[in-house]
Amino acid sequence: MIEARGLTKVYGDKTAVAGVNFTVEAGRVTGFLGPNGAGKSTTMRMIMGLDRPTSGSVTVNGSPLTGHAAPLRDVGALLDAKAVHTSRSAYNHLLAMAATHSIPKKRVHDVIEMTGLAEVAKKKVGGFSLGMGQRLGIAAALLGDPQTVILDEPVNGLDPEGVVWVRNLVKYLASEGRTVFLSSHLMSEMAVTADHLIVIGRGRIIADAPIQEIITGKGQGRTRVRTDQPDRLMQLLAGTGVSVEVQERELLEITGLDPRQIATAALENHVMIYELTPLQASLEEAYMELTKDEVEYHSLITTGAVPVEAGGN
Amino acid sequence: MSSTTVESTPSPRDAESRTQRSGDGTSSGPGPTFLRVLNSEFIKFRTLLSTLILLGSTVIVMVGFGALSAWGTGQFSEAASRDPEAAARIAAQGGDLAVGVPTSGIAFAQLILGSLGVLLMSSEFTTGMARSTFAAVPKRIPAFAAKLVVVVLTSFVVTAASALAAGFVSVPILANYGLDLDLGSSQSVKMLLVNSIYVAAVAAIGMALGTLIRNSAGGIMSLVGLFFVAPIAFQLIPGDFFVEARKYLPGNTVDPLTALDHVPDTLEAWQAGLVLGAWVVIPVFLAAVLLKKRDV
Repeated sequence: MIEARGLTKVYGDKTAVAGVNFTVEAGRVTGFLGPNGAGKSTTMRMIMGLDRPTSGSVTVNGSPLTGHAAPLRDVGALLDAKAVHTSRSAYNHLLAMAATHSIPKKRVHDVIEMTGLAEVAKKKVGGFSLGMGQRLGIAAALLGDPQTVILDEPVNGLDPEGVVWVRNLVKYLASEGRTVFLSSHLMSEMAVTADHLIVIGRGRIIADAPIQEIITGKGQGRTRVRTDQPDRLMQLLAGTGVSVEVQERELLEITGLDPRQIATAALENHVMIYELTPLQASLEEAYMELTKDEVEYHSLITTGAVPVEAGGN
Repeated sequence: MSSTTVESTPSPRDAESRTQRSGDGTSSGPGPTFLRVLNSEFIKFRTLLSTLILLGSTVIVMVGFGALSAWGTGQFSEAASRDPEAAARIAAQGGDLAVGVPTSGIAFAQLILGSLGVLLMSSEFTTGMARSTFAAVPKRIPAFAAKLVVVVLTSFVVTAASALAAGFVSVPILANYGLDLDLGSSQSVKMLLVNSIYVAAVAAIGMALGTLIRNSAGGIMSLVGLFFVAPIAFQLIPGDFFVEARKYLPGNTVDPLTALDHVPDTLEAWQAGLVLGAWVVIPVFLAAVLLKKRDV
């Protein structure tokens, strides 16, 4: 479990992370979503003890990483695919990391095998493609068989099969009861991978909720209706809280009524409907909606700090 | 191109080797003790080709300069033997010219191994390796100390070994000119040990600079500035202050430490030892404190 309390990081006059609070629970994949520069990587580096928080704290299983007796066995992280000396081979890199915790060579071979690096393991990392670098980073993260796995943009640069592999891997890790914290700026990736979503924008938590809730929470029951009598249907449906948008001559988008109510009204009044589609906001739309004005929406399912000022750029 | 096997159910570990986890979710198992971190740093050290090249260069330069210097010393002594005046001058210096031959390449050894000290730390930051290193050892200081031990020990051993090799190469060359070099004499042993300790000290200063500056070029330039530019600059700038200050530069501590008798206008041996010690301890201490404090 990862817990951030009032976690803040200020670089000079730029606030990268502005007093965020969140909890990443074990046993599920928690996505960390936000546009580039939102503070995702900074937050993850603070979890790993690489950046010192300006104020606040972040703990893994109850203590900051410096307090862990065997950090690699507790937390594995892919923070940057190129956190490796470019002139060293992948195998030797992992071997040196493993040596700090007396992790046996067999485990080094295992993670190389598991991440599909067997063929290039003896080659210098400098010649690796971005995708191979990501695989090496994931191998390093899994080296200590850690309870908590932190992956910063793991699918960046991966080929499609690699993307699927990462997706299955993180789900599998979570199913074993591990804490999995995964960042991305790709909403589509989050939609199929994460169980829970923490959305960050300009250093503040905008939303922290199950992914389904974030998707449905925004799309306030819109329904697309095609009918040959749009005017008649509009009259029938008119009422408080109902808004109808005419998209084309026979195409309406209705908000405030569910499909069943629309169908019932149409049936009772003999208006023919030839399409009735409940529209669910995609995560992408939900995300755009959330981030378009982070101050306005901060109160929505938020656990973040009250913004004092819309700092930063 | 690489055969990447996509398993439908990725197994991040062998089922049988699955460790039982304690209730609070922290796994048990060996953590980073100093010896383990030392082992890790040694693996990192020996698995870089550039490191091995620099070590090899040190040996070649030391042996090469030893041989050249043996030849030059022989030539000089031959010329001097035909010139009684010069011979008297050498004798007046209490000169056993041959004894300095095995360590004659030390100025270059210190540059190479000092740069190695810089590079070993600066490359951690320039390549991003530092994030892996300090994620595995979040307390940071053990990793720094382990690297320092590796740098200092290797520099000492490589300098001593290559000075010894230079000695073995020089003995027959000097013998050709009728000069006798006894590698086992106390002065020879002293030259070898002091110079090796000195180079190890330079490497430690280099590593401290690499930690503080985090940039390979900047670190090496600072090192060159301190050991090569400053002594010359201090000589050129007029004024008693610089004459005095020049004695305290780290590069000027080695002569007082190896001199048979105290040479005027240099530090006493014990003073030189203290000054060199301070040149190591202060930057290393600062580097450790800042490494602990700064973001990686």
